[in-house]
Amino acid sequence: MKAIALTILLITPYLALGDDSPMSASIQEVKKQHEARFLDLPGVVSVGIGLDPKGNQAIIVGLEAPNPEIEAKIPKVLAGFPVIIRIIGSLKAQ
Amino acid sequence: MADDLNRIRNILDSHRRQLLARANVVATGIGYKQTGGAKTETLCIVCSVKKKVPASQLSSQDLVPAAVDGSATDVVQTGVIRALQAPTDRFRPAPGGVSVGHVAITAGTLGCWVTKNGQKVILSNNHVLANSNDAEIGDAILQPGPYDGGGFPQDHIANLTQFVPISFQGETSDCQFANAVVSIFNLGCRIIGSSTRYKATNIQAQENRVDAAIATPLNADDVKDEILNIGPIAGTVSGELGMAIKKSGRTTGFTTGEIQQVDVTANVQYGAGQIAVFTDQLLAGAMSQGGDSGSAVVDDNNRLTGLLFAGSDTTTIINRIENVFSALGVSL
Repeated sequence: MKAIALTILLITPYLALGDDSPMSASIQEVKKQHEARFLDLPGVVSVGIGLDPKGNQAIIVGLEAPNPEIEAKIPKVLAGFPVIIRIIGSLKAQ
Repeated sequence: MADDLNRIRNILDSHRRQLLARANVVATGIGYKQTGGAKTETLCIVCSVKKKVPASQLSSQDLVPAAVDGSATDVVQTGVIRALQAPTDRFRPAPGGVSVGHVAITAGTLGCWVTKNGQKVILSNNHVLANSNDAEIGDAILQPGPYDGGGFPQDHIANLTQFVPISFQGETSDCQFANAVVSIFNLGCRIIGSSTRYKATNIQAQENRVDAAIATPLNADDVKDEILNIGPIAGTVSGELGMAIKKSGRTTGFTTGEIQQVDVTANVQYGAGQIAVFTDQLLAGAMSQGGDSGSAVVDDNNRLTGLLFAGSDTTTIINRIENVFSALGVSL
């Protein structure tokens, strides 16, 4: 039972692979490939790597404020990795 | 009642010394005796102790007697009593976690003391010690910072030694090729009699990894090689997802948090509408406000992991200490 669960867990990212990424792409590579276009969207202030609520590695996109139009332009999954939007406000040198 | 108070005051005057000499006693005063957690009507001599210890574990000369010359006593645990000094005060010697700043800024935080060429120097942000690139090497650094009343020369603690320039978006380019192309365009404009002139700017500015600078103290006696409310630094550690962290800063003092994101690329606003892109940052939840910039960030074991420099109401952005150390050529 455990082995089956583990297998499913291991192959899940591959099952969900996007069209533009090699099987072996790490989350760091996937993030690097897409972060410039996210940061070019108005109100996007950060892109990083964190955890989703289930504890899986995720690409986290920080927005200044809620913005459904911009949020719709950000995919939910990239190369099998979840993409999460967080509203973090504008980042200022303190 | 007033008679009671005066009588006990006199008793306390003659016994204060011998009470304060007993183990654990940190203060004496007069108050209402507490019995079983409830206040009674009885005025007594209150001895505050670092820690309440069972009478059986104390020698007779350390035990606070139940009564002194007819006045009842009470023993209350208060812990060690320290002078409370705000991080915005003047400190000599100065530890990390206190107010500091270039003469032309408001105030930031003295992160910690690090070593450059065998000498202890102040580590903080470029925008704290070098006014966001707008400073000269040798400029005066004040502790506390100007906003906290720091003045020159009385609070002059150090001189700016080195800073890592911050590359802002839309700045005049220092790319020689771009500038050469632009000069040719401008030559063309002159030839055709146009008054238009071009200027090369960084549309996609160079990426920054650190907002960091160091300053050399005028007097080695002003160095207190620890962080206020944290203590001495016990090495360095690379920041990782989920790591518990803490900092001590000029505005919010001692706060704790957790590294929620790594490999962060962030657009950070600097004052007058300038934006700088930072890569390879650590991101934590709310643990800082304006004035905390420059705070040293350490893990649970007091190992240095980052240099705090930016944030919002919900978020804190931190440079990785390994990037700071390599950019400045410093060590602990």
